[in-house]
Amino acid sequence: MLMAARTVCQMLQRRLASSAAAACLSSAELCSHRSALFSKEQVRQRSLYPRTEKIEVTLQGPGLQGTLLVMNRGLSTPYSCTRHLTEWHVKSSALALVDGQPWHMHRPLTHSCDLTLLTFKDDDPQIANQAYWRSCAALLGHVLDRAFKDEFSVELLKLPEVPVTAGAFCCDLVLDSRLDSWTPTEENVRSLTRDALQLIHKDLPWEPLEVSATVALEIFSHSRCKQEEVEERAAQSQNGTVSLYRCGDHVTVSGGPLVARTGLCSQYEVTSVHKVGECEWGVLRRAQGLSLPLNLTVRTSDICTDCERKLIFTMGYSAI
Amino acid sequence: MTALTCRFIKLADGLLRGAPVTVCRAGAALQSRAPVIQCIRTHRTNTWWDEHLTEDNASFLKKVVTEEYKQQTTDKLNPLKDEPWPRHEWVEGSRRVGLVAVKLGMMPVWTKSGERHVVTMLQVQDCHVVKHLSKEEYEGHTAALIVGGKNVSPFHRPEGYLEVFRNAGVPPKQKLTTFCVSDNAIIKPGTPLYAAHFRPGQYVDVTAKTIGKGFQGVMKRWGFKGQPASHGQTKTHRRPGSLGPGGDPAKVFKGKKMPGRMGNIYDTTHGLKVWRVNTKYNILYVNGSVPGHRNCLVKVRDSILPTRLENNKNPPFPTFFADGDEEIPEDLYDQDMFQFGEPMAE
Repeated sequence: MLMAARTVCQMLQRRLASSAAAACLSSAELCSHRSALFSKEQVRQRSLYPRTEKIEVTLQGPGLQGTLLVMNRGLSTPYSCTRHLTEWHVKSSALALVDGQPWHMHRPLTHSCDLTLLTFKDDDPQIANQAYWRSCAALLGHVLDRAFKDEFSVELLKLPEVPVTAGAFCCDLVLDSRLDSWTPTEENVRSLTRDALQLIHKDLPWEPLEVSATVALEIFSHSRCKQEEVEERAAQSQNGTVSLYRCGDHVTVSGGPLVARTGLCSQYEVTSVHKVGECEWGVLRRAQGLSLPLNLTVRTSDICTDCERKLIFTMGYSAI
Repeated sequence: MTALTCRFIKLADGLLRGAPVTVCRAGAALQSRAPVIQCIRTHRTNTWWDEHLTEDNASFLKKVVTEEYKQQTTDKLNPLKDEPWPRHEWVEGSRRVGLVAVKLGMMPVWTKSGERHVVTMLQVQDCHVVKHLSKEEYEGHTAALIVGGKNVSPFHRPEGYLEVFRNAGVPPKQKLTTFCVSDNAIIKPGTPLYAAHFRPGQYVDVTAKTIGKGFQGVMKRWGFKGQPASHGQTKTHRRPGSLGPGGDPAKVFKGKKMPGRMGNIYDTTHGLKVWRVNTKYNILYVNGSVPGHRNCLVKVRDSILPTRLENNKNPPFPTFFADGDEEIPEDLYDQDMFQFGEPMAE
């Protein structure tokens, strides 16, 4: 009885706290606050390498075997390595493999290593496709964060890790309790698609940052469920760090590397927003979308939005 | 009748309890028999809202009131930053938007009295509203909506052309047309338009680019009679003949019909009846012939002929929305059209 009362109190407190905290800061102010903290941390991490030290990067890949590049430690990224090659490499590389590990294109290199550039047209594009799917889900989260009016609070939950074969990427979110009975219409879904396409056209890069759990908790100080996600990811990672990605001025947490820029997505469509069930934060909704990379396009009418509109996965991929 | 008896029963109860009875009970009964929401009884007698209503009226009122409340709640809940635009009702004299369709071909239809007519099939493929120009931006008198039809690939189009579509959130289109609309008929850019925008029995005007015939002589181009084939005509069989009056003007007037390039210009056919609308494949069956070759893009709008305004009353306004609650069957036929499988008149 006492435990039930305590859990009820905790739930109420969480919901009230999150809604109260969100009410005092509008979403734009929240974004700029997080972005400012992110920039501060970025500057601090860059200042850890005051002297320019050289590292040797060996490029692997078709036509590039053994090419040696001399780059700067802590400053050069795989993207800057591609700029030494050709424009095609710059435009088409989505992800990099450093010593076999997936590495974001804009993340600074810290030691001499073997670098492989991945595109979507390789023989085995598994890793690149998975990173692309994750990036599309992150973009969807960004769009949903901006789309609602300031008086309604939006909480983005942990992005579920969905395989590309499932057919659509998704993003889980919890809306303000006043919107519990609201179902989005076709027009709302279309306006979400339009926002996403405008973001894609701006071609913003995703900036990665590995931060310790304390810094991440400070960045997401206004959102309780984001803090929980940060704690969870920090517990799962090897050295207690969490990887944050910033696109424009929206900061998000991700479990794996994302692709280099938003411009790599070409045909993006938000298909539907469904209610999945209840969770501790409120009514859980799942937004689904479909997208294809720039180099692999099909005719727009072939993207079967009608069949993807069904709720594809319910049991297999619970968000929390 | 049952209401009367019930009332009498109640009246008896009222008399027993000594409740005040007013003379205008009959008036109140008459008023409450009509199904209006505001049947406010200002009498002092205590009664409930459906006492004097029949069962049909009571259920109708319940339905109407729940619908109204639901509409009000959904209207207020627009949590996204860009809200949907308000939808108004059709008023006499308002002009609504049209469609861009593809001309597929022609086929025969028969009326119930056995007459045979030919219809052209126009398919509405991926028609979206692309831009809204307000009165000030357009010309100062009416607002305009730019509508696009039939998706094309963005790779062979200039950047400026693609920008309009990106702002609306639709794929780039092959043809863009402008429709002058009244202010209560404006639609948000990005809304798709379907063939159910037109209903059978309406009259439409179709505009398209005519088939180009190249450089043509005066008989084909303007329908001149020419000259006889024999009886002494020297080298004159298809010529225009005289170019005008003689010495007084001493010139050829401007605009004189002469040979030249014919076709490949926009032309409108007015007053075409819509016989059938297929909502599954978005096809309009429009009477008669339409300018343009097969698979060309045509502009379809409500007819402006004054004698056909009666038939175009109460259309889906401002357009037919697919996310609305109304369910329409796959095929809509005109009343006079004969559908195969029906019993014949004679």
